[in-house]
Amino acid sequence: MSAVATPTPDRSPSFLTSALRGLQALFLWATLPLYLRRWTLLPALTGVGIMALLVGAVLAAPREVIEGDVQRLMYLHVPSASVGTYMSFFIAAAASVAYLVSRDLRWDAVARSAATVGVMFTVVTLATGAIWGKPIWGVYWTWDARLTATLVLLLIYTAYLLARSVAGPNDEQAARYAAIFAVIGILDIPLIHFSVNWWRTLHPQQIVIRPDPALPGEMLLVLLISAMAISFLMLWLIALRSESEQLIQRTDRMRARLDQREPA
Amino acid sequence: MENELEFLFAGFAVFWAALFVYLVLLQMRLRGLQREVETLEERLAEYEGASEPTPTTATVTSQPATNGEPGAATSSPADA
Repeated sequence: MSAVATPTPDRSPSFLTSALRGLQALFLWATLPLYLRRWTLLPALTGVGIMALLVGAVLAAPREVIEGDVQRLMYLHVPSASVGTYMSFFIAAAASVAYLVSRDLRWDAVARSAATVGVMFTVVTLATGAIWGKPIWGVYWTWDARLTATLVLLLIYTAYLLARSVAGPNDEQAARYAAIFAVIGILDIPLIHFSVNWWRTLHPQQIVIRPDPALPGEMLLVLLISAMAISFLMLWLIALRSESEQLIQRTDRMRARLDQREPA
Repeated sequence: MENELEFLFAGFAVFWAALFVYLVLLQMRLRGLQREVETLEERLAEYEGASEPTPTTATVTSQPATNGEPGAATSSPADA
């Protein structure tokens, strides 16, 4: 056996790794000011935003002619789906990629926190959708493509959280597999978004996220304010949850240190 | 009309109920964890004090330094 090592091409850092690290740095740079003020600025912005959402949705927005007052649920349902659900799971997937690149367990905690908040918003989306659907469609639930795909998304990330909670908070192998699962799970979101275009569905087509939004100006303004409020709420909830996840990781490490010191 | 308002109320009630329950559970969890961290820190300090005869600094420096990355902050949500 020769002692001379066979020459291997220099693969580190690969282009993908460098690109991901660049994206991570960009994400941190963009979110750092808000993150550093997460216990002061974020709750205040969330409180003001939620008050504006309530006033806008219940009082300021005009009454829809055909659906009536129940249509005001749009200001809760649409931001919960498009901001609360999609963005939370996007953050979970992005933090999972960051974990896979850096192997820093703090990213795993962020991913789990975002997934938890995403699951909560998905439940809110499905519940408000069902309540809105009953007087309009006549049923709370139908196996419509968009509704079913959203339910699948809920099941995917519930499974992710269950699987991740079975393993220890500092279990790196479990964190790695969970991160891959979270990244794959995000593929359901384009399916949900485009399901109304690809299949005949009872759920209406997009009226906002398209080149010419089909909403009157006042409704669009209230909807944008609601989306801002829900995004602040989502970020604050993720920050709170991250703190708890990191405390869990810390107690787990401290218990391990104590186990090493204590006599058997 | 009345029926519409009932559905509207139910939709908003679901949102507030979900948020309230989530925040209460999170707060209870955070309090429990902070108590556990304090207990563990005390026990660790006792062991470290017993194993090292020379007195070291009294502060337990298990809090990570704030460097702006997620999880790096030493403040807890209760401090806000």
